[in-house]
Amino acid sequence: MSQEQQTGLLLLGVGGGGCRLAAAVRSAYGSGIRALGVDTDALSNRTASEGGMTCLLLGGSRLAGHGTGGDAIQGRMAAQDDIQNLLPHLQGVRTVVITACLGAGTGGGATPEIVKTLHDMGIATVCFVTRPFAFEGEARRKAAERVLPMIEENADSLVVVPLDDLFGDAGGGLLSDAVQVAEGLMAAGITMLWRVLSKPGFIRLDPERLHAMVLRGGNARFGYGSAEGSDRAAHAFEALRSSRLLRAGDALSKANALLLGILAGRDLRLAEIGDIMGQVRVACKGDCQIEMGTVLDAQYDGRIELVALAFESWTASVQLPASESRKEAAAPAAEPPVAEAFPIQPGSRKSKAKASKLSFGATGRGKFQNVEPTIYKGEDLDVPTFIRRGITLDR
Amino acid sequence: MAIPPIAALEIGTSRTVMCVGETDENGRVKITGVGTYPTIGVRKGQVIDLNQARVGVESASKQAEKQADVSIWQVLLATSGGHIQAGVNPGMLTIRSNDHVVSHEDVEEVTENAKEIQIDADRQVLHTITQSFTVDDQPGIVKPEGMRCKVLTLNVMAVHGLKNRIDNAVSVAKSAQLDVTDVAFSGVCAALAVLTPEQRRNGVVLVDLGGGTTNYIAYCNNVISAVGCVAVGGDHVTNDIALAFNIPLNRAEEVKRAEGSAVIDAESGGRRVTLRGEVGFEEKVISCKALHTVINARMDETFRVLRSKLDEAGVLPHLGAGIILTGGGAYLRKVTDLAHRVFGLPCRIGLPVNVDGLEAVEQPASFSSAAGLALYGRMTYEDRGLFAPVKNIFKGWFGR
Repeated sequence: MSQEQQTGLLLLGVGGGGCRLAAAVRSAYGSGIRALGVDTDALSNRTASEGGMTCLLLGGSRLAGHGTGGDAIQGRMAAQDDIQNLLPHLQGVRTVVITACLGAGTGGGATPEIVKTLHDMGIATVCFVTRPFAFEGEARRKAAERVLPMIEENADSLVVVPLDDLFGDAGGGLLSDAVQVAEGLMAAGITMLWRVLSKPGFIRLDPERLHAMVLRGGNARFGYGSAEGSDRAAHAFEALRSSRLLRAGDALSKANALLLGILAGRDLRLAEIGDIMGQVRVACKGDCQIEMGTVLDAQYDGRIELVALAFESWTASVQLPASESRKEAAAPAAEPPVAEAFPIQPGSRKSKAKASKLSFGATGRGKFQNVEPTIYKGEDLDVPTFIRRGITLDR
Repeated sequence: MAIPPIAALEIGTSRTVMCVGETDENGRVKITGVGTYPTIGVRKGQVIDLNQARVGVESASKQAEKQADVSIWQVLLATSGGHIQAGVNPGMLTIRSNDHVVSHEDVEEVTENAKEIQIDADRQVLHTITQSFTVDDQPGIVKPEGMRCKVLTLNVMAVHGLKNRIDNAVSVAKSAQLDVTDVAFSGVCAALAVLTPEQRRNGVVLVDLGGGTTNYIAYCNNVISAVGCVAVGGDHVTNDIALAFNIPLNRAEEVKRAEGSAVIDAESGGRRVTLRGEVGFEEKVISCKALHTVINARMDETFRVLRSKLDEAGVLPHLGAGIILTGGGAYLRKVTDLAHRVFGLPCRIGLPVNVDGLEAVEQPASFSSAAGLALYGRMTYEDRGLFAPVKNIFKGWFGR
């Protein structure tokens, strides 16, 4: 068994944007990463394949490789058509990290379907999904928002990254470069996470730890920061804490569990780890479950990079009320500029998913109210399919 | 031997059909009388109200009697429902003769062994279908007589259903003063009426899209390899539409027939359908795309359930003749396109070609199972078939 198979981790890019992200992570990480792309567009699939990543075409018989044209329903059905083609690639996989860009057809339509299948198979899923830029328009924003609860319903862990936040970190590039810059930054973050998980370190943060964490973690926020030179530990943490992805420290202070990776060169000092962890403890709640790991690699000599996954609805930990003073101290007055950022309430995953189903206006069995139900693989087929599949109707 | 007219009754979920079939001099069955009446009191193929269901039987029976100019007191009954199941039962025999040559008696004995099917006490066997013999370790033998072997195995497929459900349907017929001489599974009947010998040889799946149930029967190499029923049908599509747009079931049925499509295509985009208002129902405009989305989701799921069942039975790679759709649901627009996509096999609508006399009726595919039941009646009447074109295929394949 190769090293990439031993980890039990698979990086799965869904849709054009998701595949680009996965390919970027793959090229940044180098060999040894187990990555796969799925898309309905044969052309973008070919581009991704040229980079050496395996790409599967979804909905070939339905869409003839022309893509969905932004129709999420087509994306969903394409995934249903060809979901079986994915199964041979899942051997030995315990955790799948999915990357997708919401707002368009394949990313928005196929992702919930794939997540559901993986969930049914008992494979843990961590979804890194991006919300479209504000300038992409209201329609795309709404399309993305419609899909989020469907992904949330079955994903073990969902990380929503508003592209606007990434763009802010990018320091304001050209508008035309915005997507590439933002995706590049996101890919860099995921690559760091992947390194922490797969490269051996003195304090190991292995895929099993991630598996256990995401199974109970729920929604998460993700961020990273790096620094070099003197006092690099403090600066790296400050960069991480103040990153817009972690909502300028807000995500850390609200996190019930934190997965922190420290990537550094062989010159990492014990005092620096102590320094970082000290600051983490201050920034986080007292009862926050912190899992830390280090990776020592010559390529990081002179530098420290931190990557964090902050889980906001950690269900295993006992929910102790945080002290008021800490709350006040930790929650900064400066709310990040992205005011419409996806609101995540601790412990609300399943209830929210149910609410989204109710919004279709019709649930229940109608005519088949008092007859013996037709149950197939645990599903009551008498309940309308569009309700069970969470399909939103264009009224 | 003259064969008297055969009356075939199907108490379907959406309508009750009575067909009278007469055998002509060439041995073909011709339907001389057809009676139909909307069924009330049946859900998903199962009787939930005896009295209401009886009304349909009486009315359909009267119509058929009048048309065929006969008096009906004995009928064959077609049944369906989610309780119908099929299982393969192997029968084994050690060849005792010194030369180990399989004799006619051996074949009869192994057939008897295979037909001793162990099922729950509350279930009733409807059909036992002989599949193929295995001579020692060589499977797929059609005629083992004269071959040398030590152990002869015969696989028999038994189609069975819950006794009380079948008895309920029989009771409906009895309450309408009709004597039920035999009960058959609708899916098997439809296959008799629709499938040609060539299709059976090449491998085919017949999908009977009924009102309350979807029956399927798969042939591989001329042998019935899978039989079953999913208790989901056209009624579910109607129910889904009614719930999606908050409209009454009858309006949902109307709009399904008039504007429904199994595929969401360019034609659906942007178009809207107006449901005219009447007393107690305000005029309503619905999006065609939404309507097609609801229908597509249901049909797509139904086909996928079938595909996974056929996949479990291992028949999907052996279907040279593809998928044949019959029953009322086959008239849903673009349903063959959807089936083609889901199964990845050629798909078309199958009409009851093995039975004459249905040329003039509207939507003949919706009469496949009732017409096939008349054919089944003729075959069992003659003690397992003697006439072309079905005789060679079914000779000895059906028994009770």
